[in-house]
Amino acid sequence: MKLPRLLLRSIVLTLALGGLSGCSDDNPADSAGFAGLGQDAEGFQHAQPDQALTLPDDFPQQHAAHPDYRIEWWYLTANLKDAAGEPLGLQWTLFRQALMPPSERPAPTPWAADQLWMAHMAISQGEQHQVAERFGRSHSQAPLKTPQDNQAGVMISPFHAWLDDWQLKANEETDSTDFNSLTLTAYSGEGDARFGYRLKLTAEGPLVLHGVEGFSQKAANGQGSMYYSQPFWRITGEVTLNGDTKTVNGRGWLDREWSSQLLDARQSGWDWFSIHLNDGHKLMAFQLRGGGSDGSGGGDNSSADRQRNADYRSGTWITPQGDATPLATGEITLTPLATSAVAGRDVPTRWRLEIPSVEIDINIEAPHANRWMTTSVPYWEGEVHVSDRASGEPLGEGYLEMTGY
Amino acid sequence: MIKALPTVLATLLAHYRRHPGQLAMLLLGLWVASALWSGIQAINATARDSYARADALFDTRLDQLERRDGAPLTRADYHALRQAGLPVSPMLEGEVVTQDGTKLTLIGIDPLTLSSDNPLAQADTSASLTHFLTPPWQTRVAPDTLAALGIKRENAPGATPRLANGKTLPPLILTPALPPNTLLMDIAAAAQLLANSEAPASGEQITRIVTAAGALSEPPVGLTLTRASSPASPGQLTESFHLNLTALGLLALVVGLFIVQAALGLALEQRLGMLRTLRVLGVSGRSLIVALSIELLLLGLIGALAGIASGVWLARRLLPDVAATLGSLYGAGVGQELNLPWHYWAGGLAVSFAGLLLAGGGVLWRAAHLNLLELGQMQAWRNGYHRQLTFMGIGGALVLSIAFALYSWLHVQPPGDGLVAGFGLIAALLLASALWLPPFLAMVIKGLTHLARRRPLIHWALADMQLQLPRLSLAMMALLVALATNLGVSSMVGGFRLTFLDWLDQRLVAPLYLNAPSTQYDDIDAWLAERPEVSERLLTRRSESTLLAINSPSNSPSNNASNSPSESRSTTLLVELYGITPGASLTPHWPLLATIKDRPSAWAAFDEGAVFVNEQLATAEGLSPGDRLTLSAPNGNITVLLAALYPDYGNPSGQVLMASHQLAARFQAPANSMGVVVHDNANVDALRDALTTRFGLSSDALSNQGEIKRIATEIFERTFTITRALNVLTLAVAALALLATLLAQARSRRQQLAPLWALGVPRAQLAWLNLAQLGGAALLTGLLAIPLGIVITWGLVAIINVAAFGWRLPLYVFPWEIALTLATAVSVALLAAAIPALRFWRASPRALLSEEAHQ
Repeated sequence: MKLPRLLLRSIVLTLALGGLSGCSDDNPADSAGFAGLGQDAEGFQHAQPDQALTLPDDFPQQHAAHPDYRIEWWYLTANLKDAAGEPLGLQWTLFRQALMPPSERPAPTPWAADQLWMAHMAISQGEQHQVAERFGRSHSQAPLKTPQDNQAGVMISPFHAWLDDWQLKANEETDSTDFNSLTLTAYSGEGDARFGYRLKLTAEGPLVLHGVEGFSQKAANGQGSMYYSQPFWRITGEVTLNGDTKTVNGRGWLDREWSSQLLDARQSGWDWFSIHLNDGHKLMAFQLRGGGSDGSGGGDNSSADRQRNADYRSGTWITPQGDATPLATGEITLTPLATSAVAGRDVPTRWRLEIPSVEIDINIEAPHANRWMTTSVPYWEGEVHVSDRASGEPLGEGYLEMTGY
Repeated sequence: MIKALPTVLATLLAHYRRHPGQLAMLLLGLWVASALWSGIQAINATARDSYARADALFDTRLDQLERRDGAPLTRADYHALRQAGLPVSPMLEGEVVTQDGTKLTLIGIDPLTLSSDNPLAQADTSASLTHFLTPPWQTRVAPDTLAALGIKRENAPGATPRLANGKTLPPLILTPALPPNTLLMDIAAAAQLLANSEAPASGEQITRIVTAAGALSEPPVGLTLTRASSPASPGQLTESFHLNLTALGLLALVVGLFIVQAALGLALEQRLGMLRTLRVLGVSGRSLIVALSIELLLLGLIGALAGIASGVWLARRLLPDVAATLGSLYGAGVGQELNLPWHYWAGGLAVSFAGLLLAGGGVLWRAAHLNLLELGQMQAWRNGYHRQLTFMGIGGALVLSIAFALYSWLHVQPPGDGLVAGFGLIAALLLASALWLPPFLAMVIKGLTHLARRRPLIHWALADMQLQLPRLSLAMMALLVALATNLGVSSMVGGFRLTFLDWLDQRLVAPLYLNAPSTQYDDIDAWLAERPEVSERLLTRRSESTLLAINSPSNSPSNNASNSPSESRSTTLLVELYGITPGASLTPHWPLLATIKDRPSAWAAFDEGAVFVNEQLATAEGLSPGDRLTLSAPNGNITVLLAALYPDYGNPSGQVLMASHQLAARFQAPANSMGVVVHDNANVDALRDALTTRFGLSSDALSNQGEIKRIATEIFERTFTITRALNVLTLAVAALALLATLLAQARSRRQQLAPLWALGVPRAQLAWLNLAQLGGAALLTGLLAIPLGIVITWGLVAIINVAAFGWRLPLYVFPWEIALTLATAVSVALLAAAIPALRFWRASPRALLSEEAHQ
């Protein structure tokens, strides 16, 4: 007997998604700060100076996810060259966002999620800039024994961070359980439009804690995040772009950061620099625009001063051996020198960075302005060249990230 | 002159004050016609809206992955596929029952992976997505599903209705674009709602894994990939259903307009004197026409508005049946709430007015060409009636030749095409018969008059009939059309019913049917083999394949000896593969339409690897037994012999039937179900219980033959409720048309009969004569309707059905239906004649004498 077929097989949902995105019940609080990162984070654990990280005792545990904090990322940028010597930049980021505070978590029934994962990848060479994005879900309290238990997640021994087939994990060949030898794979698209990479990462230096033992203050009122980096990656491997696969090598920088309220609600975005200097030094510097003053107000400050004070700056000076010196907001001067029109906005693509305490006065310039990340949360992320302010002598390379423009 | 218009209009309308019956008839005709028409249009509009929503979903069709071994997919499978880089998304589907017993389809999705369109992109922040993804979650639902949930629209947003099992739905969000009876929510929420004692870990197993159409070029290892494109689009099928409905509606409209035409003609005729007087008083012809047009418009407005209002009412009554029919026949979800766009109202009015103008145009034309000097002639219509009959004859011949042309055209069309032409053919046949009816009746009367020369009273009666014919003919035409259609449709439905029930009996030979997880079949089969009461195990399997090539041997059997060239062509048609066990209990009953040689050899070939195909596929691809088909299979293409064709009613897809073991070996098809045939006197219930306990089967894994038949019959009966209802209504309208005509001329009849009475014919005899005249005419019309009805049945089963569904029904003729049709025709006529006859009988001699005086 042939009973009628159900139409269900075809019930589909871009339509439903259209409904989702069309729904305008956005919480007004979401507009606080860039991408809601200044949102009030009641019920979450907060990054605080007393949560000091200790090397090496706290590792590898800290490589894992911190689901009680609202946001977290595993953020890799790399300045590479292909076999022909042409520079090539790439980015791979795994973002985690808690959907609710720990107290409001649903029971870990199948598919129930308290964590939303998002991954970005980008490859840039010349005027080309390829971007892809993925999403996933997980429940922090559900058992995680193998990667097949979750669409996205992070396991620590051996290290394995993934969303689908975009994976950063301990190098199986070296059977390494530490964090010094990793492989990174991510591909997107089909046929000629396929792009992605398969890379081997080898750490040539130690992990670096930013701020005060890993607590990195982000605003004058004490808001901040837990923040450490591995800035010493030597990278080799292959990159596929436009269906062409080429071998590459170069340097990479991995950031790890988690927090519950990264930004002060008044802060609109940030400019963040990671720089590999040719002499082996590394430099991290950022400024958060707005929220720099703690609100008490200095009586005789000029309005320009107040404006400058309103930007909160911080950084880390890292020796080739990995010794880190935190840089305070007053030590750093960041001046945009020129802007470029990108994606309908004016984005500063040439900067002057002065840090007299470590004898730095450099120009930082993005050779290609077209590095806009057309992801759900859009931002600018691209390679930069570093040169001496006075002589113009090339001093190094790095990555610049700018949000909130 | 314009100033005089209101006066003229008032004078014209005053006529209806004296003849309220005529006004009532006019309005009734308009009302009934537009009610049926607009009711059907309302149903169609609502159904189309539902499809449009479902189609919006079809646009973004998804390919589907299933495990080759038939085992359910799990969450871990899904994660493994994602981690292999496949752009797949999980989907959980199930049924939930509302408190009023309605079954709703629950679909759980993962918006994060479903679409390549970025769900977060538009919202800038993830707030709205978060609400969808996290407790208490959200239920997306179309407004027309709210009734089933017992919720008013204004209370809907945020409501959390309770289901029959006591669980509550996540807060509702109205999403009009969703198809009816569908709840959409996050897969986590769906998993919780679908969890029950039988499936506590709902969500660990998922219903399907989908991917954007064409995203995968081949299925991953161990999985089968089912492409989204389906062999028969439900759009086509449902379209034919609506065409059916529309045709019935149009018929009702036409029949209704017959009434209007008759009533208007009469109203004009009786006012000829008045019109002439007005002209003599100085009212210009143009003002007269304007006034008459205004009258028409007024009547039209009232009738059409009333009709549309009732049409909506009618549609509301019929819609649940229509929705159920479409749902069960074609799997097309149709909302049960009327959903009418503004142009529906405008369209309804426009069609009613157009019909009215068509019906009233002739009247206006005659009024415009009024001869001032001509004396009032009661038989204005009779003037040139002979000429009119000639025109009708010629017109009928023309339309018939159109019908013939359509038939010839259809004959050379590939089978399965020409649905509209099929309807056109039937309409042309109806119209030709209707046009030929008056000349035919006139001819018969003339012949009879000739025969009855020596019987003066009968002779008079026949002559009188001739006189009445011009006015009666329209009503008789309406009756003929309605009767023939009625007969045709009811024979088709009856035939369908018989065929379908027979076919069910032939197909369902086992008393018990088993639907178990496909991995369990081997064990169950082994266990059943040991049971003494089980005589046969009929295992079925299902899969899909692509029909790649068709190789037909040369058609003429005479060159068998020579190495005749064969004709080959390639296709890419997706077909169902269905595996049955050709056991002793199944093969004798399984209906076959055509074989290469005979049934036994067909089944023998079948067992050895030949295939049968269903009629739909054979019709669509022009297959016949003896052809060789090349099918795509997991291990390379397979070429098989087509041994027979079989009927497969109600299946929208092309199907290839092969022996279960062959399907398993060649296509690795998973087991689908098993019929368990037992010896006589075996205890089926005990076997059922033993099976359930032994294999831990769920309560719905085993079904009785009787149960399956009951469900199938129920679905079927529902399907034709609407057709039947509309059929009866159409016949009622035709009866009304006849009644209207006869009542309208009752007065003039008295004028005709009074002289006879004066000449000494008893009143009773005159009354009977009157009844006999009309009864005879109706009988004649009814007799004519019988062959016409059979031709229409044939058109429906052999042309329309094939074009719409791909299968042909046997032509059944039901004598009882025919007798009923005849009886209906005669009794409608007698009823209509009885009232004037009774009035005549009761009339006082004085009144009759005064008629005589008027003469």
